[in-house]
Amino acid sequence: MTVPRAEDTLPESPPVSTSTGFVAGVAEAAGELWQSRELLYQLALRDIRIRYKQAVMGFGWAILMPVMVVGAGLIVRLVIVRSTGAALDTADFGAMAAKAVCWAFFAGALGFATASLTANVNLVSKIYFPREVLPLASIAAQLFDSLIAAVALAIALPFLGVHVTPALVWLPVLAFLLVALTAASGLFLSCANLFFRDVKYIVQLLLTFGIFFTPVLIEPSMLGTTGARLMMLNPLAPILEGVRLSLGGHGLLHTITEQTVTVSGALIVVWEPWYLGYSAAWAILGFLVSLHIFHRLEFIFAEYL
Amino acid sequence: MSPPAESPGVFFEHVWKRFRRGEIHDSLRDLIPAVGRRLFGRGEATRRARENDFWALRDVSFQVQPGEVLGIIGGNGAGKSTTLKILTRILRPTGGVAAERGGIGALIEVSAGFHQDLTGRENVFLQGSIMGMPVALIRQKFDEIVEFAGIAEFIDTPVKRYSSGMNARLGFSIAAHLNPEVLIIDEVLSVGDFRFQEKAFGRIQAMSRSGIPVVLVSHQLDRVASLCTKALLLQQGVVLHQGDVSECIDAYLSGGMNLEGSKDQGSPIRLSACRILGGHNLWWGQQAEVELDAVITGIDRSTFDCVGIRIRALEGGREVFLTSTRLAEIALPERGTVRLRLSLRMCLPRGTYTLEPLVFRPGEDQVLCTGPISTCHIEVAHSPLGRGTVDLEPRLSLNLLPSTAPGTPVAS
Repeated sequence: MTVPRAEDTLPESPPVSTSTGFVAGVAEAAGELWQSRELLYQLALRDIRIRYKQAVMGFGWAILMPVMVVGAGLIVRLVIVRSTGAALDTADFGAMAAKAVCWAFFAGALGFATASLTANVNLVSKIYFPREVLPLASIAAQLFDSLIAAVALAIALPFLGVHVTPALVWLPVLAFLLVALTAASGLFLSCANLFFRDVKYIVQLLLTFGIFFTPVLIEPSMLGTTGARLMMLNPLAPILEGVRLSLGGHGLLHTITEQTVTVSGALIVVWEPWYLGYSAAWAILGFLVSLHIFHRLEFIFAEYL
Repeated sequence: MSPPAESPGVFFEHVWKRFRRGEIHDSLRDLIPAVGRRLFGRGEATRRARENDFWALRDVSFQVQPGEVLGIIGGNGAGKSTTLKILTRILRPTGGVAAERGGIGALIEVSAGFHQDLTGRENVFLQGSIMGMPVALIRQKFDEIVEFAGIAEFIDTPVKRYSSGMNARLGFSIAAHLNPEVLIIDEVLSVGDFRFQEKAFGRIQAMSRSGIPVVLVSHQLDRVASLCTKALLLQQGVVLHQGDVSECIDAYLSGGMNLEGSKDQGSPIRLSACRILGGHNLWWGQQAEVELDAVITGIDRSTFDCVGIRIRALEGGREVFLTSTRLAEIALPERGTVRLRLSLRMCLPRGTYTLEPLVFRPGEDQVLCTGPISTCHIEVAHSPLGRGTVDLEPRLSLNLLPSTAPGTPVAS
């Protein structure tokens, strides 16, 4: 038996993907995703069903995490009030609860999305389908949870002093950016976790302490001029601040005009219009880049599992 | 990559597949020292990784036209699964071109997408979607799928309460209703009980007759022989034989008949050759003539070492029969080369069996060395009267008893 020798006929490093460039790769991935939209729905449905089947909490589960976050925020605010002597501003609780729902979505979705590929070894190593649907389905399932929490919040908000104003039209835009940013991170991290299994522990750590680097419990202005600017570098921060400003009972343009507050006599810029552009760039470019990386690598997933 | 317009349904051209055995970094913690080694080790790590490379497929080419059924056979590690994984696009070839025209229906791991906590109904939709079936089509075929699987009364029970047979039946049933343009099958013919296997086999036959190209991997050589129009024999990633089905099966069955791989654990008896005379395909009840050559170098009379043969069923590896010179009360000479001839009446159920020549020490019930294993295939001509793992050569007779009153059901 003559065994053919690879060295004679094969190039050193064969191409991993057939897609030629960035645009072509992203377009191919997006096309496949669109084709698999029913699968995405079925996988999200699976995750939701499993979560609510045989669960003691039922739909209360969706509200638990935001409630915990608001509780933590209440303690932080009380500490500030006690140490500075300033009055407790109850009007901010509504905004804080809304930010808590956003954070609970981001943290929950990212946790599930990161582990999505390694948790479905059976599927990835045995059946072909666009693997992008796995992290995206985890995010979609979490979105369902967060929508329940959002509905509960919408009922509670009028009692917390939040009223319907034109500025609320920004909320769908902000929600879209939040989902896009989560999807961008989820795609990238699930892929990274497949190759390096300790990524999920790093993500857990970041999600546990990330709340201190994100304006959920506090407002950036509490950190002073430089602190506020630094916190806004977090792509999630402008989205959450946007939610707070939109719920603040202002006009339509309030959310995209410069906002300042005076803390202890110093004027602090807490919001500049381009902050939102900065987050949008992270969310949309991040999603496209992550999708491209994911799509280029998904052909070797089965070999690394 | 799509095949040219007028190409066959399945198209595999000079396909190579390499797997890396070493240097896969499983965690970031492993990556950092590995990068350090690579930087300072002057490419030593790369060279070592390359030596660890392992070619699962080497220059494999084949085509399957619509209406053709290709059977891929070969031992473990021959590259069959890798071929199927490339065909189903789970793996990408390292070199060469693999393509199919149209949608693929893969009857591989047919219940991989099942979630244990979901009901049968929910899993049908989930697994169907994973396999690329539009939800509307699943809804349309739902009753047919459940009916084929024969689990209608359990469809709203969580799958974790299913038996493994029910699980496999439901999975196969979903996959079998896919409406694919190319069908790829891996050992699914062994799911469920005998009756379901026949049903599954019939379904696959019907699909292939409807004109779609089929690629089938199976160890059930009788299935390959009756279903396939051509075959491919793989051994360690290389195509050993390709074309006619019976030629490939013969080449597979006669492979490994020379005794080079014989292991020797200090026994004074060494097996040098083993042959099945006449052929490997036998009818039920036919005599198998086996010839066994052994070299004896100073036998120890106190141990009763003997030469024999063991027959196992290929499915499951269960020992079916063992005989030896000791049991037949044949004394071996102290030294010299002997030829043992065995004549076995193969009253075995249909299937594939392995014949394993061995040197045996009866007192300690220990196999000292075995020769290369060869396989032999039993086909049933006129079905013996019954089925099961052994043939009890039944004789049945029926007499009509005088009944006490007309119309009374006969109770036995």
